[in-house]
Amino acid sequence: MRRRMVLLVLVCACFCAGRITLQAQEFKLFDRTIQVHGFVSQGFVYTSDNNWLTMNTSQGSAAFTDFGVNLSTRINDRLRVGAQLYDRNLGQLGQYHPSLDWAFADYRFKSWLGFRGGKVKTTLGLYNDTQSLNFLHTFALLPQSVYPIDLRDATIAHVGGDIYGNISLKRRLGDLSYTVYAGHRSDSIYSGYPYLLSQYGTHFKSFGGLQYGADLRWSTPLKGLLIGASRLDQDTTGKGTSVSPFNPGGGTISYSESSKADWTNQFYGEYTAGKLRIDSEYRRYVRDQLIFGGSSENPDDVRGWYVSGAYRIAKRLELGSYYSHYSIVSLVRGALAAAGFPSQTDTSLPANHIYDKVITARVDLKRFWNVKVEGHFMNGYGNSTYPDGFYPQVNLQGFKPNTTALVVKTSLNF
Amino acid sequence: MKCPQILLVVSGAMIFASPNALASDVKVIANSSVKADMLSAGELKRVFLEEKIALGDGTHVEPVLEKDGPIHEAFLQEYLGRTDDDLRTYYRALVFTGRGSMPRELGSDAEVIAYVARTRGAIGYVSTATSAEGVKTLAIGDTGINAQRRLITRVEPEYPETLKRLSIGGTVRLQVTISARGNVENVELLGGNPILGESAISAVKKWVYATGHSRSVAEESILFDSHP
Repeated sequence: MRRRMVLLVLVCACFCAGRITLQAQEFKLFDRTIQVHGFVSQGFVYTSDNNWLTMNTSQGSAAFTDFGVNLSTRINDRLRVGAQLYDRNLGQLGQYHPSLDWAFADYRFKSWLGFRGGKVKTTLGLYNDTQSLNFLHTFALLPQSVYPIDLRDATIAHVGGDIYGNISLKRRLGDLSYTVYAGHRSDSIYSGYPYLLSQYGTHFKSFGGLQYGADLRWSTPLKGLLIGASRLDQDTTGKGTSVSPFNPGGGTISYSESSKADWTNQFYGEYTAGKLRIDSEYRRYVRDQLIFGGSSENPDDVRGWYVSGAYRIAKRLELGSYYSHYSIVSLVRGALAAAGFPSQTDTSLPANHIYDKVITARVDLKRFWNVKVEGHFMNGYGNSTYPDGFYPQVNLQGFKPNTTALVVKTSLNF
Repeated sequence: MKCPQILLVVSGAMIFASPNALASDVKVIANSSVKADMLSAGELKRVFLEEKIALGDGTHVEPVLEKDGPIHEAFLQEYLGRTDDDLRTYYRALVFTGRGSMPRELGSDAEVIAYVARTRGAIGYVSTATSAEGVKTLAIGDTGINAQRRLITRVEPEYPETLKRLSIGGTVRLQVTISARGNVENVELLGGNPILGESAISAVKKWVYATGHSRSVAEESILFDSHP
């Protein structure tokens, strides 16, 4: 960590001295122009009490790095192809195992009808597809009630296809954009949900399944106002090994779980006026998993919403704030319930909610380089059968109800 | 008392010395492969946001940006309703999700003109003072029925005495760009005698139309009748 911090300081010093400039690169291949773009971000998190996001944050942690690089080109007027490689390390998650973030061919017949095929970022709400692109956002961490960074894999992309388009409405009624998609989701075993279950001795070898949905957004006639809705349905299966909860001393057994129901509804609005931007989203995520081969059932009802505001007070300085509200109801049925595994239904308890008040300052040092300093004031830790940032494995001493966090993050892109 | 006065003078001087350009200082140019002579403000916005890759007649189009400067700022404010930062964030979101590419950015009017002239479908913007040789100038405004604007003040053009005496007359056709407030921002001669055209242009520049939702473009015909 010390070496990484020294490197970061050196890089920052070089940029400050104006020795390095970043520019998008282009090169020619078979008479085609290939564009190359990339980004890297490095964060540091310090928390007052609980460890957060699988990092040892109460001691201060910089295990918060991600980067990506992409190539794209236009084959003809209607056809584009490209791919992006992505890698991250977030505490115990990611662990620098690179993945293909997206790779697809995009053919646009008309403005109102296009098709993308390959590995495609999933359109869900305002920011699902750009949640890893920290340099685009005001905040160092997007509202975790709707965009949990530890569960990025659950919604980020699918291997399949999108049909999309943009329709300009007559009589000055604004524009409509739509996306309809279907494909296969495949989670890294280094993501939040597998990590959460590892506390019970459950280790996934694979996790994924069918994902399909739609998004419709309307740029209204009121200048700067966008509203929209997304729906996502999934049918996932996870396979691996586990310690039997019914016979803990009996060694490992094969483990499987599958969806009985898995859907998300998300509603959102964004208003921009000059230097002011206000966003709000509501998400309800219902997942009903048949676990231990169907002998038990675990329905979760996750609800999250946030309201955020950001204002650019100077060319290089933007201030922002949001309130993020997360709650979970988690039921346990079947053999696990009979074995005494409890349901959690009272969302007023800290174990079943996270209320997060956030303030941020974003400083744009250069067009391609920014630094964010952010304060989080959280009540609750939402530790249940589905995670949202707090994990018992890194909080062996038990959870405290409140957490204050300082997040510093810097991002570069070209 | 003296301090506020000095402040007032300095602020006033700063406002007048501001390098900001007006929308009327910007002209939109296109490669000769672009068949249309006029785009609606909405179409232009969708071209620059990469939502539209072909015009209604099937012509492929691609946006070309200036890197910075007052003309760039004026274009963004007038036609895209975004700041430079917002637009860059928008393009980056496209680039890093694979949904679009970064448009060509050039450093000066001359570079934009040269690139647009040689690139099929390219649409860019430059200062109205820049010569648009080798490219075509596109009229931007609302088109169709919604674009009709009521003329409130009409100033009749002067019929040059020499031409009148020689019975040289005819109809002059003009393309008039009208601001949302109703003032005439720009007039271009579409057809007719150039000397009569000059006279017509100077008169039409004084016309005032009813206010509208946004800038619009109208075509006006003025008859110089040599045999009244």
